Formats: sequence, C-alpha cells, structure tokens
Amino acid sequence: MAEQMRATFQDELEQVEAALQEEGDYVLRSLRAAVNALEQADAELADEVIAFDDEIDSRYFSIQEGIQSLLARQTPVAVDLRLVLAMLHTNLHLERMGDYCVTIAKLTKLASDAEQDERLVQAFEEMGQRAEEMIRVALDSFQRRDLEGASSLVDLDELIDRANRRAVERVLDFADDESKREWGLRMIIVSRCLERIGDHAVDIGEQTAYLVTGEFREFTDASHQAGG
Amino acid sequence: MNPDTMQEVAPIEIAQPTEAPLSTADREPVFQTRDLTISYGKSVAVADVSFSMYNHLVTAIIGPSGCGKSTFLRSLNRMNDLVPSARVEGEVLYHDQNIYADGVDPVEVRRRVGMVFQKPNPFPKSIYDNVAWGLRVLGMKDDLDGRVERALTQAALWDEVKDRLKKSAFGLSGGQQQRLCIARAIAVEPDVVLLDEPASALDPIATSKIEDLIHELKHEYTLVIVTHNMQQAARVADMTAFFSLERTESGGHGVLVEYDETQKIFTQPADKRTEGYVTGRFG
Amino acid sequence: MAADAGRYSLTLSPRTRRRKLVNLFMQALATLAALSAVAVLVLVIVSVAQRAFGALTWDFFTKTAATFGESGGGVANALVGTIVLVVVAAVMAIPVGILVAVYISEFAPPRIATATKLVLDVLNGLPSIIIGIFVFGLLVLGSGQAAWKGSFALAIIMLPLIARATQEVLALVPSTLREGALGLGASRWRTVVGVVLPTSIGGILTGTVLAVARAAGETAPLLFTTSIAANVVTWDPRQPVLSIPVDIFALSESPDPADHARAWALGFVLIAFVLVISLGARLLLVRHQKKLEG
Repeated sequence: MAEQMRATFQDELEQVEAALQEEGDYVLRSLRAAVNALEQADAELADEVIAFDDEIDSRYFSIQEGIQSLLARQTPVAVDLRLVLAMLHTNLHLERMGDYCVTIAKLTKLASDAEQDERLVQAFEEMGQRAEEMIRVALDSFQRRDLEGASSLVDLDELIDRANRRAVERVLDFADDESKREWGLRMIIVSRCLERIGDHAVDIGEQTAYLVTGEFREFTDASHQAGG
Repeated sequence: MNPDTMQEVAPIEIAQPTEAPLSTADREPVFQTRDLTISYGKSVAVADVSFSMYNHLVTAIIGPSGCGKSTFLRSLNRMNDLVPSARVEGEVLYHDQNIYADGVDPVEVRRRVGMVFQKPNPFPKSIYDNVAWGLRVLGMKDDLDGRVERALTQAALWDEVKDRLKKSAFGLSGGQQQRLCIARAIAVEPDVVLLDEPASALDPIATSKIEDLIHELKHEYTLVIVTHNMQQAARVADMTAFFSLERTESGGHGVLVEYDETQKIFTQPADKRTEGYVTGRFG
Repeated sequence: MAADAGRYSLTLSPRTRRRKLVNLFMQALATLAALSAVAVLVLVIVSVAQRAFGALTWDFFTKTAATFGESGGGVANALVGTIVLVVVAAVMAIPVGILVAVYISEFAPPRIATATKLVLDVLNGLPSIIIGIFVFGLLVLGSGQAAWKGSFALAIIMLPLIARATQEVLALVPSTLREGALGLGASRWRTVVGVVLPTSIGGILTGTVLAVARAAGETAPLLFTTSIAANVVTWDPRQPVLSIPVDIFALSESPDPADHARAWALGFVLIAFVLVISLGARLLLVRHQKKLEG
C-alpha cells in the first residue's frame, strides 16, 4: 500500500516531536544564559534564567498532555510506540536539565558578590560549552534517528566528567583561603550541575538508541564505574 | 548564540497547531435532544437522552451491544418512522426545530440529515447513477457531471473510478462501495451525515481510509457516528457519548452515561461505568 | 507412530465405502428424474410437431377458414384473434398486477398484506370456466361478444400470476436498499419507482411471461366470451374474435381430417409461441444480470 494513511495521527506525532525540539532549544538558551550569568556574576541575568524556567515547565506539561493523548487515542504500536515512549523520557530529561540551569543561576546569585577564581570560571565556560554541545548532539541525533551520533555522547560526557573532577581538585587547592572557600563550595555544586546536565544528554542519546533498535540498554562505559 | 540577557535571544518560531482548538462553548449546536425516549411497542429501547451535537465536529456514540446506539442515531433523521411499532417521546431539536413536531415532513428532514449504513448498500445501478439518482430525484440536476465528480472527489473515490463511471457499482470492493455510499450521501449537500458503524464490515485498510475521510469531511459537514469499536471513536471523534444498559424489571434499556470531549473520556472519564467500558473490563 | 494412525486414519473403511455407494445411487436417481422431465417435454413437442407437419403451409398462416364444403383455407383469424386477446389482456393485467404487488410489499399494514395475498391465491385457484361464466354474465349477456370482454376474463386469470410473482421478488429486495434511498431524502414513491422496481425487473418479467403463456393457452373462459363464428381476420378488439385454443377445440370436433391436422398445427404454434417467449425472457434476464455485474 503506497498511500499514506492516518494523516492526523502523523501530524500529531510530528507536533509533539516539534514541541520537544523547541523545549530543547529553550533549555539551550537557559544554559547559555546561566553560564554567562555565572561568568559575569550577573544577578539580574540569573533572575531571568530562573523566571524563564516557567516556559520550560509549561512546554513540559503540554508535551506530557500530548503524549497522554497520543497513547489514549491513537494506540500507537511498533516504531510509533517507541517514539512516544522515547519522547516521554526525553521530555523528562530536558525538564531536569532546565532545573539544573536554575540551580546554577540560584548559586550565581548567592555567590555574586564574592571573589571569583579566574581559572575556575574559565573551566566552567568550557564545561558550559561542552554541555551545550552535548545537548545539541543529543537533540539532533534524536531528530535524525542517528545511532552513531547518539553513541558519541558517551565520549563527550567523559570530557565533562574529567572537567568536573579537575574543578573539584581546583577548589581543594584554595580550600585554605577563607575568602574564597564559601564561593568554592558553591562552585562544586555548579560543577556537579553541569556534569549532571551532561548525564541527562547521554540519557537522551540512550532514548534515541532505544527508538532505533528497540533494545533497553545503557551506554555503559568503564569510566562511569570509576565514580565522579 | 551569546546573549547577555534572555531578551536578546531571538524568539523561536512556535509551530501553530493545524486544527483550531476544541471548544464547544462557541460552537453552534446542530442537534439537541431533550429527554428523548424511544420505544418499540411496549419495550423501551433508550430512555431520557439529553445532549447536544455541535457544528463541524465529529460526535461518536459508543457502548455495549443492545444499548440503543443505532436506535438513537436513526431517531435523528426519523428513520425509525419505518418501523410501525416505534414510538418517540421527548424532543429532537435540529437547529432549534423539533423534528417530531406536527407538520414536519420526514422527507425534508432526511434531505438535510443524510445517512451511511453499516453494510455498504449501493443501488444496482452504475457508479455514476448511484450518485446522480439522488441529485435527479431532489431536483439538483444542474451541472450533474460536476456534482457527481465533486461528490466522488470529496469521498476520496474519484481517482479510482473516473474511468469506469458507467460500470456497475457492484464491481467495486467493499471499501470502495462504502465510499460510494458516502459520496451518494454528500452529493445532495446535507447539513449532517449520520454514520451507523460505517467501517464494521470493512478490512483494516479500508477502515483506515474511511477514518481519514471522516477527518476531511468534518470541515464541510457535521458528523455523528455510531461505533462498537471504541478505538475508532478515540481516533476519529471530537466528542464522545457513552451509552450503557440500565437494568429494569422489564429487562433493560439504553441510557446516556457520559458525554464529553473524547480526550477526557479516554484519559479521565468521570463515571465509573465509562471507565469500566473503555478499559475493557466491563462489556 | 504407525500404531496411532488407526485413530486418525483418513483412508477408506467399510463405512465410507457404503456412504460412497449411497451417494452414487442418489445421484443416479436424481439424474434419471431430470432426464425423464426433459424426455416428456421433448416427446410432447416431437409428437405434436410430427402431426402438425403437413398442415404448416403458407395458406395456413394467411387465410381464414374455407367456406363449408371447400378445401384449403387457414387459421389466420385464430392467430390474429389470439394476439389481440392476449395483448389487450396484458395491457389490463400488467399495470394492475404490479401495483397490487407494490401495495402489498411497500404500503400495506402486515395483516392487510397477508389478507390480500390470500385473496390473490384464491383467485389464482379459481377454475377458469367459472371466470368465463362470470364475465359472460357480467359483460356479454345482452350486449354481445367482443374480444376485449374475452381479454377481461384472461386478465383476471393473469392478475394473480403477475401480482404474486412481482410481490415475491419485491420481498427479496433487501430493506437496506430502500433505506439507502429513503436516507437520501427520497419519497416512498420515488424509492419504489427508482430503486425497488428496477431491481426486481427480472422477476417481474418472468411472472409476466408465465402469465402471458397461460393466457394464450386458456380455452374455457373464451368459450363464452369469444366466438367460433368469427371467421374474419380483424384487429378490432370490439369485435368478437377466435382464439387458438378455442379453434383447436372446434377443429378437432370437425369431421374433416384436414381440420384435424390444422388442429395439431395450431397446437404446435401455441407450443412454439410459449417456448419463444420463455426463452426470450430468459435471454433478456441474463443480459440484464450481466449489465448489473458490470
């Protein structure tokens, strides 16, 4: 049968996926702004990031509703079902990423008048860029159903994990400096947030792999067992 | 992308949904039943049904066998008149006129409220004549060829039959025959089309085509469809009415249990009976 | 495994052998019965044809009976007379018969429909001579014989045949077909004329042909209403005419053996007529069906 049928169903699927990609774009904006706010110790920008999370949350809920509607009304099977389930999980991961951006912004506000460590801030700029890249790769691979692209996220995550460990070590370096100590502790949490964002991007990659292969699997890697 | 403030980031294009959001508040009701009760002789088939069906929406009627869904549907175009023992109490308002009032001509009602039946029932005539017969009888003879073509196109059948219009309708497959019956019904430009389990005699692919057709047709007509396949109602309908059987001393009759947006009926129905039915736990 | 095959064995056993024999025997019996029916028809046709052979001349078809004492002549008046009688009867009976059937099938309440069907069946069973006497008393007494009065009697005989055959085929039209037409907003009459009757045309045709064949062969009612004295060829229904069966009766009572031969010849003509219209109707029906199948 060469004809296309169930046009409405097809449209609905595409709409939800488009909304998901849009949510991803919002998360990217949020992340960029949060890292900028951190670099520049800009409390106002941080407030905007926190406010912007409402947009992400509203997208999250409307996508939830869309998925509920697809499951209830269209009884998807095979690749359609995997797509819907993959979108369900990805939606959650994106929302969590948004929450981490908010956490970074809140910590920025708390630490905005403290003295910063240049090297650490520089490192965060890089980690931020890595995380952004990972989010883009994850969303792009999802859209193009690209298994290789999704798998590449594991290696990218490795870089963030290492950067996270170096950041912790850097903070330990100036642990004796009282003026910087509090800031340093807060920055450890920021580093952790960026690392977790990376992990969620990998999870999105795993959803892409499930969508393509139908297998429930994690991209396991020796480095994940080494802690961090 | 390197904004210093959130506002500097260019806003992203948000894709607009392709269909207008569902809202019955600002829609005109085409049918409104008030305490509608239909009996055959002494036994009540369906009792005290009151709800509205709205313009340019697909309204589905679901429920177990014997709960009077078809009886109810046929009361909307006075097809029950054909059964001598049928009795109707209450009102069926079509654009605020009671179709059972004295002086109302059932033939006039049926011109505006067409019907498609469970088993495809084309006339033993050619494909062309099947569509043209109604047009001729109702005096819509101008541009007959054009009207026939438009109807067949709207029914997604034109391409398949344009080269054999003079051949008998019985040469078509079941799914094609049903689309021909739909073409026949819409050729006479009704306001509403009633569909009584239109796809239950068809295979899955033919069924899918009919469902896609229903999505298209609702732009021009108002549709009310009875179906025993609730997944079909979920896929196709904007509003869903759930009928069930109420046991009485004399046996049982059909009642309207719940009527709401399809979305609601299939995600969070208000009535336990509805939930029992759509989850498949009760028949 | 071979030991189990016994329970599930599909091959011949004494029971199946006997079953086969019984089947064969019944088949043979049925075939024999069919052949006998065909044989009877063939015998009748052949024997009539044999005896009719000599008399089927050109004069036979074109001349009327010779005057008393002379030889030669034909039965043209009887042939034309039959045509007039049957055509006028058909014109009377067919519309009424179809309308009665439509009434029973589409409009009558169930009890009245059953009563009407009963009336038709009784009418069908009335001996045709009684119908003849009735028409004689009603129309002929005092005002003389005429072809149309004979046709009237024939029409009474044809009516139940046409009405019942039509009604039976109308009943076979599925109600979904009527519903489809009514659902469009067509009135009852439009539905009957445009959908129900055209669908039943095959059965109506068959009923009509049977009725016409019956009418052409009726003798009793015409004994009173038409005349053996009508020895001119006339197409005027107001005149008394001779019909084939009555002429057969008259000719066979004549002392002239040539007349006997003519009687056989007329019988042959009648059989031929019935065969031709029966086959003709069948052919029309088959062509109609083919058109329907597209």
